[in-house]
Amino acid sequence: MKQRNLVVVSAGLSQPSSTRLLADRLSAAAVDAAAGLGVGLTVQVIELRDLAHDLMNHLLTGFPPAPLKRALDAVESADAMIAVTPIFNASYSGLFKSFFDVLGQDAVADKPVLIAATGGSARHSLALDHAVRPMFVYLRAVPVPTAVFAASEDWGGDESEGQLRGRIGRAAGELAREVERRDPATVQDPFALTTSFEELLAGG
Amino acid sequence: MQFGIFTVGDVTPDPTTGRQPTEHERIKAIVAIAQKAEEVGLDVFALGEHHNEPFVPSSPTTLLGHVAARTERLLLSTSTTLITTNDPVKIAEDYAMLQHLADGRVDLMMGRGNTGPVYPWFGKDIRAGIPLAIENYALLHRLWREHTVDWKGKFRTPLQSFTSTPRPLDGVPPFVWHGSIRSPEIAEQAAFYGDGFFANHIFWPKEHTQRMVGLYRQRYAHYGHGSEDQAIVGLGGQVFMRRNSQDAVKEFRPYFDNAPVYGHGPSLEDFTRETPLTVGSPQQVIDRTLGFRDYVGDYQRQLFLLDHAGLPLKTVLEQLDLLGEEVVPVLRKEFAALKPAHVPDAPTHPSLVEAAKAQDREKVQA
Repeated sequence: MKQRNLVVVSAGLSQPSSTRLLADRLSAAAVDAAAGLGVGLTVQVIELRDLAHDLMNHLLTGFPPAPLKRALDAVESADAMIAVTPIFNASYSGLFKSFFDVLGQDAVADKPVLIAATGGSARHSLALDHAVRPMFVYLRAVPVPTAVFAASEDWGGDESEGQLRGRIGRAAGELAREVERRDPATVQDPFALTTSFEELLAGG
Repeated sequence: MQFGIFTVGDVTPDPTTGRQPTEHERIKAIVAIAQKAEEVGLDVFALGEHHNEPFVPSSPTTLLGHVAARTERLLLSTSTTLITTNDPVKIAEDYAMLQHLADGRVDLMMGRGNTGPVYPWFGKDIRAGIPLAIENYALLHRLWREHTVDWKGKFRTPLQSFTSTPRPLDGVPPFVWHGSIRSPEIAEQAAFYGDGFFANHIFWPKEHTQRMVGLYRQRYAHYGHGSEDQAIVGLGGQVFMRRNSQDAVKEFRPYFDNAPVYGHGPSLEDFTRETPLTVGSPQQVIDRTLGFRDYVGDYQRQLFLLDHAGLPLKTVLEQLDLLGEEVVPVLRKEFAALKPAHVPDAPTHPSLVEAAKAQDREKVQA
């Protein structure tokens, strides 16, 4: 069984949060789906709440404190990502955006991403496709077609819960297939020399 | 080993009084700080170059020329000279002139400048920062070494039969350092020419410095200038001292909390842990500074930033007293005791003149 890394970024603010609950459901489904394709997924969860101060400090000083650096490195080296945000004012939360704002250039390029969000009602669900998906496309990540939105009502009632489960399964399957057919992620060393001095002198 | 100070020349209000020095006061304060540096026995004074507020040093050779006339031993340097937006022809001329006036007490540190809007004011584009630094320095290097230069490049008009005047003092160009925080191309550039490499080493985690110096040393050896531990390395550092470390922390905190660059961000405690900033007693500064050697190896130049964030002149001069009387004498002794004999000192004008003579003798014999 080949092994791959899945990183889960959750921007929920309360503890426990429905955002984290959705993130856990998605990662469990992704692990199952990947196992079905012969891929063992190791899961690492990043709670952005724990890194909130570090994120602001990074924005102000230009470098990440050590715990944030570890989180950023984990994202860059992951073979796939699940990114879950609460919807605030018709978009991702500021905390969620800040994390991706300080991520290095190309850190998620060509990385399969399952995007998901939580909100008070289903009326917010289009924020996933109007705000979250374009951001990941800009970052040249590969968001899978199914985005998963969970409103408060999805956590109750047989029928709605069944629909959420269906969407989770479909999205997790899409993510697992992307992971299965790809080579492991590679990490760029920002301090590595990539051109010779002769090339630099020649204007390279 | 050389010890000194470097300044960016920011005009920042004192957060404890709200008072902002005038440009005139700040410019005169920079001169006073430089003179004091010589008086307390430091070796180097380095001045930044900026063309945007709140910084005053837009004309470094004017200020350094003035300092040269008021000092006798102090080595005058830059932190940094903008190799991207300045015309290399003008750098060649200005610093050769300064070198003559200062009787050779001059070297330079090249830097790119990181403020996007400044570039177009000088007809340049920050996106070409690295190519500008490479091409402009290649020209500067020739202008100081060849009497008559024919040249054509991308970023300025071609030169035909051009001679930069005055020629460098004794036919020996000022020594050059290349400063960079995290651009491997600049470490490579310094290594290619056998020039010095200066790591900013303030405001950033030590890992940046360690990686960049490591790369520079490796490439310095690759280009045949000597072994890795013979490469010429300089480091920045930022300190605030009082005899009692608690007093230092208490006095510096409002300046830290409101400073440009990191103010209103991490706590003083976080920042001193994550970067080389040291706030405490002279002994703490000594211990921390000696520790730099653990991750960069034996190095040649240590410059401290003492005068930013609105610290009043009186306080800065007190810091210089502590640095000169209690810190640097100990560091000199300790670093010297640790340094192996084959590791060179930083080149100076006399040592470069000597090396040039030795080279000429070899030629005659050959």
